[in-house]
Amino acid sequence: MLQSAGARATHVRLVLVPLLVAAGCGSPPPLDKQLETLESWTATMQLAKERHGAGAITVTYVTQLRDGADEAFQQASTSIGSSARTRADSAYAAAALDSLRNAIRQLEAEIGS
Amino acid sequence: MKKWGELALGVVTSIGGFLEVGSIATSAQGGAEFGYQLAWVLLLGTLSLAMLMEMTGRLAAVSKRTYADLLRERFGYRFFVLPLVAVFVVSLLVLASEIGGVAIALQMATGVAFRWWAIPIALLGWLLLWRGNFSIVEQGTAMLGLVAISFAVGALVLHPTWPTLGRALLPSLPSHDRARYWYIAISILGASISPYLYLFYSAGAIEDEWTIEHLSVNRVTAVFGNVFGGGLAIAALVTAALVFAPREIKVDRYEQIALLLATPLGRAGFVFFVMTLFITCFGATLEIVLAMAYLLAQGFGWNWSENLKPGKDARFSTSYTVLLLLAALPIVLGMDPLSLTNISMVVTAASLPVTVIPLFVLMNDGDLLDTHVNGWPSNLALVVIALISIVLLVAALPLQLLGGG
Repeated sequence: MLQSAGARATHVRLVLVPLLVAAGCGSPPPLDKQLETLESWTATMQLAKERHGAGAITVTYVTQLRDGADEAFQQASTSIGSSARTRADSAYAAAALDSLRNAIRQLEAEIGS
Repeated sequence: MKKWGELALGVVTSIGGFLEVGSIATSAQGGAEFGYQLAWVLLLGTLSLAMLMEMTGRLAAVSKRTYADLLRERFGYRFFVLPLVAVFVVSLLVLASEIGGVAIALQMATGVAFRWWAIPIALLGWLLLWRGNFSIVEQGTAMLGLVAISFAVGALVLHPTWPTLGRALLPSLPSHDRARYWYIAISILGASISPYLYLFYSAGAIEDEWTIEHLSVNRVTAVFGNVFGGGLAIAALVTAALVFAPREIKVDRYEQIALLLATPLGRAGFVFFVMTLFITCFGATLEIVLAMAYLLAQGFGWNWSENLKPGKDARFSTSYTVLLLLAALPIVLGMDPLSLTNISMVVTAASLPVTVIPLFVLMNDGDLLDTHVNGWPSNLALVVIALISIVLLVAALPLQLLGGG
């Protein structure tokens, strides 16, 4: 009896998890994921600036990286507000967006665009 | 002397052919997000592929028939439709990803958006297949693919912590983000054990007219070639672990990955990365489209050989022509090559049982292999690979949903 209840629960989970995940696909990603993405692109911009300064990568390639960061910035700008539920969350989100914006500007200054 | 030449060429071919869009992307993602921790998955994938290639090569050399031929003959046409459709769909996705990889390499070099390169790449591939022969496809691109050794150089320059890397070759559980960890693990396995690799290898053994005399060449090629090739994939993971992980850079776009070699090797590293991506993905494009055309031709009993003039095997030649153009379409339409790669690697992993499980039956068929049937160690390894493939089939979809990001 216990086993069949356990099996039922497992079946329910098997059906529910994909449905819930699928339902979640329409909503913005959680705040921590969006912050991770912004921080990752900020670090990418800093590394690209450093590598370009050392003559390791071309302007053509740096521009593509900048475009990628720009796209991530635009996406986060429109969706991060609805993911931030508290004032502290909003402050984190704003700081992460600011950092990325600054990193993009610094990279643009580096390549002179 | 000729045999040593074949052996060296075979090993070089496997090394140069191992890295491609999937293994570069998934190794970089694994290293960036989990450091060295996923190195054991690459080792597992490499050993599994080496075993599968050795067996399908032995099967072809002894029986003088390809694995696809034998699947149809021994299991009947009704069963054959299952691996045919599964491998066909999966390979088409991987083919599109490889074309995307070549296109991204050209975008990095020229600044022209990747989608504009898809059709020229497909046409170049078609031209090489139409005008060239099997040696050009097998050896030409693989020899050039040795440029991928730059990943090993990059990793060495960064001074990895060897004891930590050694420990990472043993399976371990993640300390964070479990769904993502297993999702990347499945993607790595999908990239390492693609069915097209052993189907192409098996057809290649027939194209190269292997006999029982070639069994030692087969063994050395399959084992050493893949172990060295897998070593390069581990080097890519190590490089990502040392360049991206400390900076908390995650790989969201393919373009980011070039920074991996530009950091330890400077401008040369950037150039080597672009060349590696271009050559290995282009080589894989040719191999996959041939593997698919072989599968169709062998399944339907058409004439087939890359060494024949296209007029002599018209349906085979038409197949690779149409497939190349079809696979270029998602890239022309602007589908993100990295997303396409991740999806196709997970789907590949899920498709493995239909080609791995029947191999167990064939490798124990005395009528086909006589004294060259599997011994117990090979059977044990095949059972383990089959069990892994079943786990991958069951886990692929939930992990795509939970960890796909």
